[in-house]
Amino acid sequence: MDSFGSRAASLAFALLLAAPAAALAQESTLTALRTSDADRYDPQRTTTLAAAEVLYMVGETLVTLDRDLKTVRPGLAERWEVSPDGRTYTFHLRRDVSFCDGKPFTAAAVVGTVERWLNPDFAGVSKWKAGKVESIKALDDHTVEYRLKEPYSELLYQMTQFNFVIIDPEQAAALKDNFGISAFNGTGPFCFRSWKPRTETVLTRHEAYRWGPAFMENAGPAGVARFVWKIVPEAATLVAALQTGEGDLSYSVPAWAIAEVQANPKIRLLNPDVAFRTHYVGMKITRPHLADKRIREAISLAIDEGAIADAIFFGEAEAANAYFSKATLDFNPGMKLGAFRYDPARAKALLDEAGWVAGPKGVRMKDGKPLSLNFYGFTGDTNRQMAEAIQGDLRKIGVDLKVELYDATIVWGKLRTQDFDLYQMNYPYLSAGEAMNLYFLSSNMPTPNRMNWNDPDTDRLIEEGNRATSPEARYSAFAQAEAIVHEAVLWKPLVNEKLTVVSRTTLKPFKPHGISGAALYNGLDLIPAK
Amino acid sequence: MSAQGPASTVTAARPSRPGMFQRLRSDKVALAALILLLVIVAAAVFAPLLTPFDPYHTNLRLRLRPPGGAHLLGTDSQGRDLLTRLLYGTRTTLVLGFAGVAIGTLIGGTIGLLAAFYRRLEGPLMRIVDVLLSFPSILFGLALAAMLGIGMDSLVIALGLSASPRIARVTRATAATVMQAEYMEAGRVIGLSDATLIHRYLLRNCAASIVVYCTLQFGETILLAAALGFLGLGLQPPIAELGSIAAEGRSFIFLAPHVSTAASLLIFVIVLSCNVLGDAFRDLTDPKLRR
Repeated sequence: MDSFGSRAASLAFALLLAAPAAALAQESTLTALRTSDADRYDPQRTTTLAAAEVLYMVGETLVTLDRDLKTVRPGLAERWEVSPDGRTYTFHLRRDVSFCDGKPFTAAAVVGTVERWLNPDFAGVSKWKAGKVESIKALDDHTVEYRLKEPYSELLYQMTQFNFVIIDPEQAAALKDNFGISAFNGTGPFCFRSWKPRTETVLTRHEAYRWGPAFMENAGPAGVARFVWKIVPEAATLVAALQTGEGDLSYSVPAWAIAEVQANPKIRLLNPDVAFRTHYVGMKITRPHLADKRIREAISLAIDEGAIADAIFFGEAEAANAYFSKATLDFNPGMKLGAFRYDPARAKALLDEAGWVAGPKGVRMKDGKPLSLNFYGFTGDTNRQMAEAIQGDLRKIGVDLKVELYDATIVWGKLRTQDFDLYQMNYPYLSAGEAMNLYFLSSNMPTPNRMNWNDPDTDRLIEEGNRATSPEARYSAFAQAEAIVHEAVLWKPLVNEKLTVVSRTTLKPFKPHGISGAALYNGLDLIPAK
Repeated sequence: MSAQGPASTVTAARPSRPGMFQRLRSDKVALAALILLLVIVAAAVFAPLLTPFDPYHTNLRLRLRPPGGAHLLGTDSQGRDLLTRLLYGTRTTLVLGFAGVAIGTLIGGTIGLLAAFYRRLEGPLMRIVDVLLSFPSILFGLALAAMLGIGMDSLVIALGLSASPRIARVTRATAATVMQAEYMEAGRVIGLSDATLIHRYLLRNCAASIVVYCTLQFGETILLAAALGFLGLGLQPPIAELGSIAAEGRSFIFLAPHVSTAASLLIFVIVLSCNVLGDAFRDLTDPKLRR
């Protein structure tokens, strides 16, 4: 009794002390939870989503993407001109922008940023996104000329990606390897305060910020004084932390927990208009059985993508029947997509037609050989469930699928080999053109063109699309290439993942942004509820 | 017992266990464990006859159904009948346990006997065993499974190798005692070859202890197989294995607790029965504990 009494007294005392502090913290701090951290916060040396999430908040790009992920909007450049030959881009910069340390933003920062990234001695990543740059120079303090050796039709779209975040080149030169680790000076609505790797990244409001893009509700300054990105590696723990209010929002909540959090009245779910991540099964067409298109089509028709979306993703994904979302830039709506439905009867008919007849144990045979294929995939709950569902569906049409699931450390090496028939993958993309460039060029064999799709027409059309100098010409070339690769049935598209932000009611409702999967984008619209 | 005649005097070196099963009958707990284990083994062996369902037939539209109705224990994350999966899973798990222990006994037993028989081999052989013993068996199993790749064969080898050092220890200890017996000396004097001595005298006199220890090791090996399956280093889908079924149900522990619970309980019952039975066998075969 005695100890209970003293404990109650000390608890009451603690509550008395904590109450105002908690109210203050609640008003001025928001905490987002995620499962993994970046290797560093240098936009030119990382490819991780975790880095993009922070870099979009502390830094900005010359141009940015509207919520439809198709329309390029002004960012740090208020306007730009493209020369008729498509090789010279002139950017006119905003004059009211300053870095977190108070230094004004000028053309020198843009030139310094691109020069550092493209410096041949520098181990920068994703340099292809910049195009074949001939020169970049400052025409005056607020005008930059970006010259290419050849036209690059998607340059402006690529420039909206986080690798193009404008850095403070002087700081980068001074900090060397520590840049993006100990400090990062940017022009974003938040300033980089501190980083404890695999624990938390703390950002504070950039008080002078007033230049937010027009499609955001809030032009600046940010609605919250302090923003913390906290790492909770275990998904179940992350869900519990959201439920108890330890964190305010997250979009790393696994699909199986969505129903559970939905029941909590203090939690709401928010979705961006569009977001692009597609799961698919790729087929290696140089393997003995898969050279026959009828077999590829049968495999595609046998897999029930709708059931995968509804059951495995609990409806947090939509069934896909093209290699990328129909909402993506340059998607060709005229393509024939009949091969990507779920139609097991037609699948069986195709296999009959190809001469594969029922054999012992339900596996089809031809010339004494069973229709047995092998499949490389990833370990992890959702991937494993998808692999098993695919295996189960193919078994029903008499295809024996040998599933081999590998850990993330081994799987990329395995996927480089020629030893598999089918493989499982999911990928984020910016546009149809980007997906075409990544997967279907013969120069990208054996990876990421793991299908070994080697077609001169596809190569020529993609190249034509890349060099196009008008949106119409670019669309026309990409659309033809898209039709060819869909016609050939090289993938079975499974689902397009939805991006679901789980937010506590401590925040006002806001509209997430689908850019690169970094749903909070620059964080301007994150405003604590009063 | 009634068949005891002159022949039994020739094989007197063999340990005789009169009335072992009769005495087992007086140990109620052990008897219960034995019956439970026999029922589980029978159910696993006759799985195809016991269930009308196909263990590999998926139907996502029927997934995670709770127990009751046509599916006695509900369905798993792929809409397969859980009871059927558990029966086939028990089959795999028992085969893994048995094969793992058999390989472990072959390797460990040979090392133990050789170390006891040839004294100059004892040092190097048992130091190797000590090194192997100092690894936690789950780490050892993980390393082997990662090295040998994924599949039934490599899993069995990994299980056997990680069981072998303990079996080697027990075998050597028993064999060392047997080596001091007078009949070993006598065998040497009448000029029996080493192979005969090891086979006829040493092995046969150690067999009882090894078998008893194996019963205990069986439970441990099943647990290790389940743990490797749980960690994703076990068998590949769609093969049912109790550890992987438990792991697969873990994500749905709030949504559909029956999947993980049923598989875990089954592992628990099998391992507990093995341990109880192993203990009882040890008591029964230990001459010093004879009542």
